[in-house]
Amino acid sequence: MSRFLLWGTALVMLVVLAGALYRQWRRNQRLEAQLEAAAADLQHLQEACSRLAPAGVVQRLVADGVAPGVQAAERKVVTALFADVVGYTALGERLEPAVLARVLNGYFQRMSDAIHEHRGHVSTFLGDGILAYFGALQPNPWQCDDAVRAALAMRAAMHDYNAELAKEGLPPLAVGIGIHRGPGLAGLIGSRERREYGFVGPTVNMAARVQTLTRTHEVDILVTDALRTGLDSRFVLTPMPPEMVKGIAEPVVTYAVREARG
Amino acid sequence: MATILERVAWEPSLIDPAPDRALEAYARRKWGMNNPALRYFAPVPWLARAVVDLHPEYGLLMHVSHRLAGLLALVVSQENSCRFCYAATRVMLWTQGLSLTRIQQLEHDLTRADLSPTTLAALAFARSQSRSGPPAAHEARDAIQRAGFSVESMKELAFVVGVTDFANRATTITAVPARGMERMPGRWHMRLLRPLVGRLVRSRLARGRPAPLDRVPAYPYAALVKAYEGSPIAPALGRALEQMWASPHLTRRCKLLMLAVVARGLGCDACVPEIGETLGSEGLSPAVVTQVLTHLDAPELDPVERLLVAFARETIWYEPAPLQRRARALRDHLSSEQVLEAIGVAALANGLCRMGAIVLDSR
Repeated sequence: MSRFLLWGTALVMLVVLAGALYRQWRRNQRLEAQLEAAAADLQHLQEACSRLAPAGVVQRLVADGVAPGVQAAERKVVTALFADVVGYTALGERLEPAVLARVLNGYFQRMSDAIHEHRGHVSTFLGDGILAYFGALQPNPWQCDDAVRAALAMRAAMHDYNAELAKEGLPPLAVGIGIHRGPGLAGLIGSRERREYGFVGPTVNMAARVQTLTRTHEVDILVTDALRTGLDSRFVLTPMPPEMVKGIAEPVVTYAVREARG
Repeated sequence: MATILERVAWEPSLIDPAPDRALEAYARRKWGMNNPALRYFAPVPWLARAVVDLHPEYGLLMHVSHRLAGLLALVVSQENSCRFCYAATRVMLWTQGLSLTRIQQLEHDLTRADLSPTTLAALAFARSQSRSGPPAAHEARDAIQRAGFSVESMKELAFVVGVTDFANRATTITAVPARGMERMPGRWHMRLLRPLVGRLVRSRLARGRPAPLDRVPAYPYAALVKAYEGSPIAPALGRALEQMWASPHLTRRCKLLMLAVVARGLGCDACVPEIGETLGSEGLSPAVVTQVLTHLDAPELDPVERLLVAFARETIWYEPAPLQRRARALRDHLSSEQVLEAIGVAALANGLCRMGAIVLDSR
């Protein structure tokens, strides 16, 4: 009897042990699956971040974290493109906010696609404006040509978009684009809570100022002399009269971009 | 067990597979098994041969261990988002005895894995060279020497990284199907056969032995080949380059232009002069070469050159799916062999440049 009890107890303990082991094994499997999913998400996030900041910056952030005061910045020559909707204020007064938002979203999408297609990186949307860089994320010796090709693609995309807007009885949009190339400091800029990969220096300011000259000269794409020197001669340019702009002591020489030959 | 690259968008293959018995037998003799990517490269024999012959772990490394070479290949393939090579390297490490859990541990955080400081330094080197390339070469070279690697070991590390960059681009741009390789460790018959396959693979892995460079090469990147003199890498690399130059699908001038564009895009100061000089002997004036390198086009180029100069630039920094779509568009203008050769040349150019920036750095 006692022998039977002993075997019975041993069997029960064995079953309990096996059950516990099985539960632990299932738990491990679940944890492994969660870890795997988390790792995949992290990899995905890192890949997505690589499109917003140079891979080296992302790597430093992943390895070191974003500590206050740490600046992952480097000096480089970048081409800045600034685009703005002409007559946006008047447009805002004419359209319902919901319609305006839809029209603007369509505009941003098309402009971003054109910039991305030509290896540009949209840094930020400022109201109705777009600031994009060429050569900021990866070295790009062809950044001037890329920026002007992107501007021409933006012009073509605007043309198509206006045809779509016209079908809906909406007013056409016009865009002014200023492009300049110059040195600056590229890196993570912002507060402790919110940072973004940006570029600091007079280059961005100049691109924005040149963009405002598109109204003065009644053209859609203007480039500076510094950009022109790096540009393929097959781009057809027309020199514009020098103009004073806010914050710059000397008159600024610009060129209107007509087309690309060949 | 899913790999961490499985969510990377990947297009259907650009090239129809063309099984080649002789090539597969050659790969089996050399590697102990066939590589499913080879049938996609078969129409351009030099490319298929280069993938087999330049694999570092089969008789080319005298100083760097096979295990380290495997880990470097894993890191570089991850950096280049090459789903096929990444999965293939994982399978290789798995068949050689590394558990999937250990591989996962390494994948999740290589910098914090319990690896030796020298291994971590080598992996950091591989990552830096894949991400930044030649502009970071000097710094990477110093770091690897500080970590205790000899000059000869450093050259081998550069070779492993460069060749993986080459293989990654060749398989990524042609979009060699990766799913089968990714699923392989999960298949019951592979689990069963793992010890046998591992034994077969291990039996073919060989340390390199000094090998003479029988011919003084006379083509761009000859300096790079000569820099490996005494190592089995030199004749293997020399042969791959000779076969690439001799291949008839693209002109020598077109290949040179592609090499030059990649070198310029990567900012490889050590590589550009040698290629520029050779382009001069191909009938292109320095002004035309400058025009091509500055603006990726010139009226003196023929239609194929114009297409491929622009394409070569796309292979430097890329996301797989958009690059695969751009390569597919070439098929409207070029034959399959021309497309494949162009992919091979661009892939090799990227690998050679990264190797050259480290090995030929005279600073």
